[in-house]
Amino acid sequence: MNLSFFDQFSSPSLLGIPLILIAMVFPALLLPSPGNRWINNRLSTLQLWSINLITKQLMIPLDKKGHKWALILTSLMMFLLLTNLLGLLPYTFTPTTQLSMNLALAFPLWLATLLTGLRNQPSVSLGHLLPEGTPTLLIPALILIETTSLLIRPLALGVRLTANLTAGHLLIQLISTATTTLMTTMPVVSLLTLAVLLLLTILEVAVAMIQAYVFVLLLSLYLQENI
Amino acid sequence: LTRSLVPSAPAALRALPPPVAVGVLHTTRPLHTTQQSLAPLPPLPEKGGEVRHGLIPEEFFQFLYPKTGVTGPYMLGTGLLLYFLSKEIYVINHETVAAACILTVIIYGIKKFGADVAAFADKLNEEKMAAAVAMKNEAIQTLQTAIEEEKKEQWRVEGRSFLFDAKRNNIAMLLETNYRERLLMVYNEVKKRLDYQVAMQNLRRQKEQEHMIQWVEKNVVQSITPQQQKESIAKCILDLKALSKSAHAAV
Repeated sequence: MNLSFFDQFSSPSLLGIPLILIAMVFPALLLPSPGNRWINNRLSTLQLWSINLITKQLMIPLDKKGHKWALILTSLMMFLLLTNLLGLLPYTFTPTTQLSMNLALAFPLWLATLLTGLRNQPSVSLGHLLPEGTPTLLIPALILIETTSLLIRPLALGVRLTANLTAGHLLIQLISTATTTLMTTMPVVSLLTLAVLLLLTILEVAVAMIQAYVFVLLLSLYLQENI
Repeated sequence: LTRSLVPSAPAALRALPPPVAVGVLHTTRPLHTTQQSLAPLPPLPEKGGEVRHGLIPEEFFQFLYPKTGVTGPYMLGTGLLLYFLSKEIYVINHETVAAACILTVIIYGIKKFGADVAAFADKLNEEKMAAAVAMKNEAIQTLQTAIEEEKKEQWRVEGRSFLFDAKRNNIAMLLETNYRERLLMVYNEVKKRLDYQVAMQNLRRQKEQEHMIQWVEKNVVQSITPQQQKESIAKCILDLKALSKSAHAAV
């Protein structure tokens, strides 16, 4: 199993059967469904508590109409959290490193918020294009800038997630390659790089969780503007 | 089979020919006669399955114990690992180092925060149960307080007759007092009126007396003639002389 640096980013397939679907669905298998009991085991209790926390955090700034988005935003959050964290294990494939998947997540959701805003309250949605208190001369330029920033949001969402995770994984690969190669020639330097790798791993765990949260948070912010 | 089942079936079923009765028997099985419920669920086991090194169930070690003793599973693990390494079924590459790092981080996290997280989960469940138990206890307490209050009220009812008697006596005394006050007032008023009459009579008599005395005096003074006046004055002088003689003698 000689791995190049691109192997972890290629869509997995076994004997020509694409495994991408299993890779995307697998994290859901790790979440126990809450049973019929009133008092569950520890895992179910903790899962319920964390999902409650996430949902409350996301839904507090939104008014009642926005609560329709609770299910999709919370499930998106859980999905991204789990796929990102599971991708840190060795020899795993992280679906969120694929730009295609992240854009496929970001683009429809962003477009949904935009169309909701334009449909229900068009003037308020378009009013967001001009911040308050701008000098009159700057208005045309500012509207162009704001429109560009609005249209670039889905790209930003997708690319942010992809770039962060890909960069993190690639860094882990490179530094661990450096550690492996140096182990035979300069063991002490190898130990230093191992220390760097440990710190990087901790960072990557944090980044995995933060990026998932940022993705969903930004979507909820776009929703707040437009709902 | 149908012959064994059909005698226990209802009479309407026995009227049908056996091939039909078989099919009908399945549909006449009583459905929805009991309130099938999922409660009470069997309780969760107190502890999870025993696990050694966080991964391998204890049953595996017990399974291998009779044949290979205590070190059996460890020998198996080491042998497998060396086999994979030596035959290069598992190649040591950069992922191995990355695997070592992530496993270190995971195991460190579990060892450090595992107990706290478990305690937190237990605390969540405990709080849920405590809230329900508190509600139950509060309900019981409310009912007990109600029972005690009721008993107190019943005891109070026994003493009610004394209360009413006391109140009745009070009122009677008040009435009596009032009545006597009024009697006194009547007596005083009557006495005042009679005293007035008596005073009037006394005043009248006094005035009559005075008037009479004055009249008498006036007439007497008028009746004193000058002759009588001289005679009385001469008598007075003689008396005075006699007295002065006796007074000289006394001194």
